[in-house]
Amino acid sequence: MPHMDRRSLLKAGSCMTAAAILRHGGSHAQAATPTLTLYNGQHEKTTAALADAFTGATGIQIAIRKGSSSQLANQIIEEGDASPADVFYSEETPPLAALAKRALLSRLDKETLGQVPAAYAAGDGTWVCASLRSRVVAYNKAMVEEATLPESVLGFADPAWHDRVAYVPTSGAFLQQVVAIELMKGRDAALAWLRGLKAHGRLYPTNGAAMKAVEAGEIATALINNYYWFSIAQEVGEDNMASALFYYRNRDPGGLVTATAAGVLKSSRNQDAAQKFVAFMVSAGGQQAIVDSNAEYPVRPGIESFFPLEPFEDLNPPPVGPSDIGDAAGALTLVREAGLA
Amino acid sequence: MGLPLVYVGLRAWQAGPAGIAAELLRERTLMLLANTVTLAVGVTAGACVIGVAVAWCVERSDLPGRRWWRIAASLPLAMPAFVASYAWSSVDVALQSLGGAIFVLTIVVYPLVYLPVGAALRGIDPAFEDVARSLGKGPWRTFFTVVLPQAWPALGAGALLVLTHMMAEFGALSLLRVQTFTTAIFQSYELQFDSASAALQSAVLMALCLPPAWGEMRLRRRLHVARAGRGSARRPAPAALGRLVAPAVAGFGLLLALSLGVPFAMLAYWLAVGTSAGSDLGELVPSIAGSLGLALPGAAIVVALALPLVFASVRHPGPLSRLADRLPYVVHGLPGIVVALALVFLSIRYARPLYQTALLLFLAYAMLFLPIAQSALRASIELVPPKLEELARGLGRKPFAAFTAVTLPNILPGVGAALALMVLEVMRELTATLMLVPTGVTTLATEVWSHSNDGEFAAAAPFAVLLVLVSALPVYVFTRRSTEVYDLQ
Repeated sequence: MPHMDRRSLLKAGSCMTAAAILRHGGSHAQAATPTLTLYNGQHEKTTAALADAFTGATGIQIAIRKGSSSQLANQIIEEGDASPADVFYSEETPPLAALAKRALLSRLDKETLGQVPAAYAAGDGTWVCASLRSRVVAYNKAMVEEATLPESVLGFADPAWHDRVAYVPTSGAFLQQVVAIELMKGRDAALAWLRGLKAHGRLYPTNGAAMKAVEAGEIATALINNYYWFSIAQEVGEDNMASALFYYRNRDPGGLVTATAAGVLKSSRNQDAAQKFVAFMVSAGGQQAIVDSNAEYPVRPGIESFFPLEPFEDLNPPPVGPSDIGDAAGALTLVREAGLA
Repeated sequence: MGLPLVYVGLRAWQAGPAGIAAELLRERTLMLLANTVTLAVGVTAGACVIGVAVAWCVERSDLPGRRWWRIAASLPLAMPAFVASYAWSSVDVALQSLGGAIFVLTIVVYPLVYLPVGAALRGIDPAFEDVARSLGKGPWRTFFTVVLPQAWPALGAGALLVLTHMMAEFGALSLLRVQTFTTAIFQSYELQFDSASAALQSAVLMALCLPPAWGEMRLRRRLHVARAGRGSARRPAPAALGRLVAPAVAGFGLLLALSLGVPFAMLAYWLAVGTSAGSDLGELVPSIAGSLGLALPGAAIVVALALPLVFASVRHPGPLSRLADRLPYVVHGLPGIVVALALVFLSIRYARPLYQTALLLFLAYAMLFLPIAQSALRASIELVPPKLEELARGLGRKPFAAFTAVTLPNILPGVGAALALMVLEVMRELTATLMLVPTGVTTLATEVWSHSNDGEFAAAAPFAVLLVLVSALPVYVFTRRSTEVYDLQ
């Protein structure tokens, strides 16, 4: 009788479900052995390289949880004192500043902070930068001449650039650029710039999408971070690139240097191991692992990248650092006032 | 089920009455509202037209090879919307617009309408049509006045599903550069920390889901699909397409080329040109294991939760069972990130050992996908006569025993269909999975996300291809099972 078969099928099915749930419960219990939990917003490959090097040097295992930096920060805020995270590695500094503001981060060891120039650590010592990147203009070589690019990034808000510039208001680095403009040129100038971009620029959801659009000839220019160009160049070969990067070397906010950073959670029950990991990030070995896997600048002097990066000494960036930027809350008010968020 | 609603309310209230008013009255809110409604209505209308046309062709016409088309036409369901959008967005910039989004999403979600309508058309007794035709009505009038009304509940359920799906869609819209409430909510979580405006936007989104959920319920209540004694309906003779055969076959071919061919071609192109291809093949096995390890038990749990809900609303209709039946549809319109944050908030405070275990993730899946399981189950439960259970009770079985001995075996095809559909949905879920999955577990969807996020398109391609291929199996099972629901009668 077919119904008999169905009944035994049901029984087998429910047994399998129960077994699957038990197995999942089991794997969670295993995670209780002392392993560092890292909430990672940085590019996966970079963090994996860093974690491997750290495990090799110390024997401490690392469990990596991935997500976007801001979403992970929001998750940590929601988790509060009960956060399973030991270390938070963010693709940008404002999420860490937001956690520091809510007193969720431990002070880092003095020695760790001493490894990098003072500008690349939080004033209160709760987080330290791990690598640097530069804001740039990516432009399609067939669509625009480098010489015709505006002398300041503020020039992109001009009607002359109508439908010819891609921007990404959801990107943390964009917000940081807004802070830099506000600090250097004043609030009105920053607001006018955002309104101009809203009227004339083309909004993209991510830096990667904006870069891809320039490379594909969908749009002439994009305001992005330098390493997005290098990841496509690595994918298709540098000589085949239809786009190039333009660096502002005149202390313009268009050439702002931003940073990735990491901090130890105050709620972590593995403070020692967590501090060790952050110390490793800024050590020579950790820095080498980072710059080998992504086209970024080291925070520690004397580390060489094999990517054909613009020499850091030649960047001449604006005098705005991660501590000046903080959690970029002011920029968000501006972005909202301009109707972009 | 109501927990995300409470969470959204709590968080939104933080803004204070003045803040709430200011946020809701912004010009941007109006723009988001217009975009969200246009997109949802546009895609739903498009999916209904294509879905009904496809269903009629494969079930009621003499389309050549219709057995084959019946399965093939359901396969676009295996193509995750974000994969299709990714491919289409690089075909032409013009598609990165509201109109483009309506086009791309329509061709991938129409099976959600086609499958239930197709199943309903199979079950319709052709005697009604014979009567209509004998009264002198033409084929078109017969279709619109006799056939379609009998398929209304199926069409309504499918349309509601598409509508609420569109309200919560994120990945595809972000790639096609369309801003809706859901993309704005994600943006808020990207730019802000403990944000009240994201909660407010979620509240608006849920409010938007209320009218369609209520409307579909009304539609259902006015109709009675069950017949006392179905008799034995004959198989309807297929309508002759005549000169329309060639255009119909061409249309089917085009539909599949657009919904499956273009995305696959794009994935193949990335595999061929990219250097990151194969850089991470070692990750394939753990992520397949992760996907299946979450999707199979997750699907079983969601279906187990959906069964009593549907059963109660079919057997014991009343205000309470109706509310329980409808609430999931409202929550279904919420983006994964809001449901996930609600569960983080609640489990950290009240059920800490559960946090970041698979069990909590299954709960999130239930909140996100219950309505899909409900609509897959409903048809088969409605067709089981209550008399069968009464007979079992009369023979001395307890209610639960009567259910497992009599009802459950009869609705197994429906359960199979619901399970397959759930496996499919869970496998492609991304945002709640990222936030709630046990640390270190990867799935095909999270790998596609992180590789394409880092610009390694070629490395993402094998994961995307596998995701589509693995999804094709549940789609096949679902299609077979949902036709079986009616064949058994």
